[in-house]
Amino acid sequence: MKKNLFILLTAFCVTFVQANGQFEKAMGKNIPAMFSSNDPESLQAVINQFSRIGEAEGDRWEPYYYAAFGYLRMSGMYESADDKDKYLDLAMKEVEKGEAISELNSELESMRGYVNMIKLTVDPASRGMMYSGLAFTSFQKAIKLSPENPRAHFLLGRMQHGTAQFMGGGSEEACGSLFKALVLFDKKGQSDNPFAPSWGKDSTQEAIKEICEKG
Amino acid sequence: MRALTFSLLIGLSLILHAQSNISGVVTDKAGEALLGVNVYLKGTYDGATSGLDGAFSFETLETDSLILIVSFIGFHEVEIPLKPESRKLNISLKEKITQLNAVVITAGSFNASDEQKREVLKPLDIVTTAGATADIPGALNTLPGTQTVGETGRLFVRGGDGRETKTFIDGMLVHNEYGPAAPNTPSRSRFSPFMFKGMSFSTGGYSAEYGQALSSALILQSKDLADNNRSDISLMSVGADLSTTRSFGKSSIAGKVQYTNLTPYFELAPQNLSWDKAPEEINGNFAYRLKTSKTGMLKFYSNLSTSNLSLFQTDIANPEVELPVKVSNDYAHFNTSYRELISEKWGVRSGISYTKSNDLASLDSDSREQKLRGYHTKLVADYQHSDRVAILFGSEVLGRKVEQELMDETGSFNQNFDEVVKASFVETELFASAALAFKIGARMAHSNLNDEIILAPRISAAYKTGEHSQVSVAYGQFNQAPQTQVILTNPESQFEKSTHFIGNYQWAREGQSFRVEAYEKQYDNLTKYQSVFEASSFRFNGDGFARGVDLFWRDNKTFKEMDYWVSYSYLQTERNHREYPGSFTPSFASTHNVSIVGKKFIDEIKSQIGLTYSFASGRPFNDLNSEKYLAGKTPAYHDLSFNISYLYNSQVIVHAMVNNVLGINNIYGYEFASQPDGNGVYASRAITPPAKRFIFLGIFITLSKNKGINQLPNL
Repeated sequence: MKKNLFILLTAFCVTFVQANGQFEKAMGKNIPAMFSSNDPESLQAVINQFSRIGEAEGDRWEPYYYAAFGYLRMSGMYESADDKDKYLDLAMKEVEKGEAISELNSELESMRGYVNMIKLTVDPASRGMMYSGLAFTSFQKAIKLSPENPRAHFLLGRMQHGTAQFMGGGSEEACGSLFKALVLFDKKGQSDNPFAPSWGKDSTQEAIKEICEKG
Repeated sequence: MRALTFSLLIGLSLILHAQSNISGVVTDKAGEALLGVNVYLKGTYDGATSGLDGAFSFETLETDSLILIVSFIGFHEVEIPLKPESRKLNISLKEKITQLNAVVITAGSFNASDEQKREVLKPLDIVTTAGATADIPGALNTLPGTQTVGETGRLFVRGGDGRETKTFIDGMLVHNEYGPAAPNTPSRSRFSPFMFKGMSFSTGGYSAEYGQALSSALILQSKDLADNNRSDISLMSVGADLSTTRSFGKSSIAGKVQYTNLTPYFELAPQNLSWDKAPEEINGNFAYRLKTSKTGMLKFYSNLSTSNLSLFQTDIANPEVELPVKVSNDYAHFNTSYRELISEKWGVRSGISYTKSNDLASLDSDSREQKLRGYHTKLVADYQHSDRVAILFGSEVLGRKVEQELMDETGSFNQNFDEVVKASFVETELFASAALAFKIGARMAHSNLNDEIILAPRISAAYKTGEHSQVSVAYGQFNQAPQTQVILTNPESQFEKSTHFIGNYQWAREGQSFRVEAYEKQYDNLTKYQSVFEASSFRFNGDGFARGVDLFWRDNKTFKEMDYWVSYSYLQTERNHREYPGSFTPSFASTHNVSIVGKKFIDEIKSQIGLTYSFASGRPFNDLNSEKYLAGKTPAYHDLSFNISYLYNSQVIVHAMVNNVLGINNIYGYEFASQPDGNGVYASRAITPPAKRFIFLGIFITLSKNKGINQLPNL
């Protein structure tokens, strides 16, 4: 009887936790919150949740991906280069935490490139050389890891556009990447992981409108 | 039985899943509320973020052995084991001292780095400064604390001679860091600025890790692993070069071959010198980088070059007589360094370098051949005890073997020495708080030549006086072997010594910085002699002083897409050394030096233009026709230089540069005949630049898959 009770108890507890779907629930709530938080305080709260989830799970890279994205967005809420750099460095740390769990991950590699791209924009004149190299390398690597990743193509397109603007040059190359991204976004059902990144279609459309359809 | 089990289950699950509240307030040590702190139970999702008043509150179903983690950017994380009765907490966090908030000791040093924003210079500044001709010392000469000594091209710092500044690459000493040049014409550094990711130019009070330099240390850090493949071709009015970089993930190689020949340029642009063979040089660089682990890096670098030139120099006393002058040099430098973090707290660095330089210089039938073989080995360990205490210590051996052969019609004369300097150093960095830092160090060195042991203490401190301002002070003793010719004549020569006192105030905010630095430098044990070739006349009791004020203002904010800086140095210095009959201001010292550097990117023409104006007040020279020693004074020096870089497209850049746009006749000093003429007058000749202006044109082409890369940073 004692043994039965133990089994029953254990089963009860396990079901309770699983049915709870803690990870799914928490991610489902925080991912949209990360995109919709528009002030540093609420964004920091969301990032803190992601880092709690990441630490508690220990084997999921997605919370770190979104924490990195959160810090990337946070950097845009500040004016001074010091503040921007502070949050971009934190974003990079989150990318690295994710990479420690999931090596050769196209999404994390794209995020790494994204962070470097924004680092570049903080001081293009003196950082151009180093950070454009880092960003391009990451986007190219991300595409190699997963040629179907639309965000890698989108970010590469933005980088190509920025470079063409700075150095002089047309937007054909950038538009090529952006249209490629759009096609990939429209391809349905590419990921069976509901928490894998899925953002970027709207931004791609906007970028195309701004860069490629202006005439 | 069933009923019992059921009620037991309900009861248990109630205990297991009863919610409890955890709340509290998070502050810093000063009691200020902290906003945005992540407070959570270890291993769970349960937690909260503190609000404006530092308060947090959350519910949890967990009960057993709970550990609360309190984590916040820039503060030490704490773990608090929770007792069931204490669910309301007052938590205070201790601030972490990080690169971002810690005060930096700036007395005596200018740093340039891509990585740190607070630096006053970027490596790119070196190469885009007009008039610098992409030469590291050329650009650093626009900073305060330097004196323009146009006929050498070297770094003269705060009343120090050019040889009192030493160059270190990845911590290793470089011998003969300047290429050869004709007499009284400027030489260039052998090391191209785009090899380096960062540099620290110290005008005094530098770290105990560096020695054998009385005035200044130029510490260069070479680039890390390359992550792109690229090739560059440069076609220039003075030659051409070809370079390539290959990246293999964990390792990379880079090579460059450069050929310089000034003959075509000198054909087009008339020179004051009558060249027989204009300077010609072949220079090769090779670099290898290997990432040995996540934190380990092995770097190998070599520089090989051969160069020669010859010209005719008129005899001062008899201008119709032309004497042949020949200069040639073969040079090789190899540098290997390795660094690794052994654990979170311990790191090691080690390095070995070897330099070989053969110099030949001749005037008419007199010649001097000098061979140098130098090596340097070094091992440094650093221990980061905490964010407040770090210690660095190490040992090094600096060896130098010099052989000299002097020849004239009467025969030849050989001299040599074999110097081994062994040194150990230790330095502690202490932070009392993020706003107050100290560096305390000492260096002990022994030379086999004089069997002398010296102990040189070095102390510096910095205090943050406000959000944007800080003061720092430095004190240090520095030693250096006398000039090579002195040691050749008298191998038992003693170390010369200098003592620095520096006070510095710095104000900086984004895009603008201002600094003022006052210093006093004392020289002791300087070498005195009647003649440098007469060992019996040597005394090591010369002395001197240098004192002054340096000002620096930089601003890239006020004017759109324009960056400018202004440097001013005031210097007062005297020395009693060498053959001086007393204490005099040396001929390389000018009282006032000003540099104004401006750079602007003009979108409409896709070009960056640069202008540099340099001024130096007159320098003393020894007028042999005057009763007084070193009583002559040259006119003031002025130079206005201009450069432009045009981005033809993303991978082709056209660069042009003109030095001394205004064509001012600058006079660096005067040379005198060795014998007076019939009337008892010494004939003289002004030392001037070899041509009024120097014009440079180049096309720089980059071949890379990565379209964002071009040679702009290299110009």
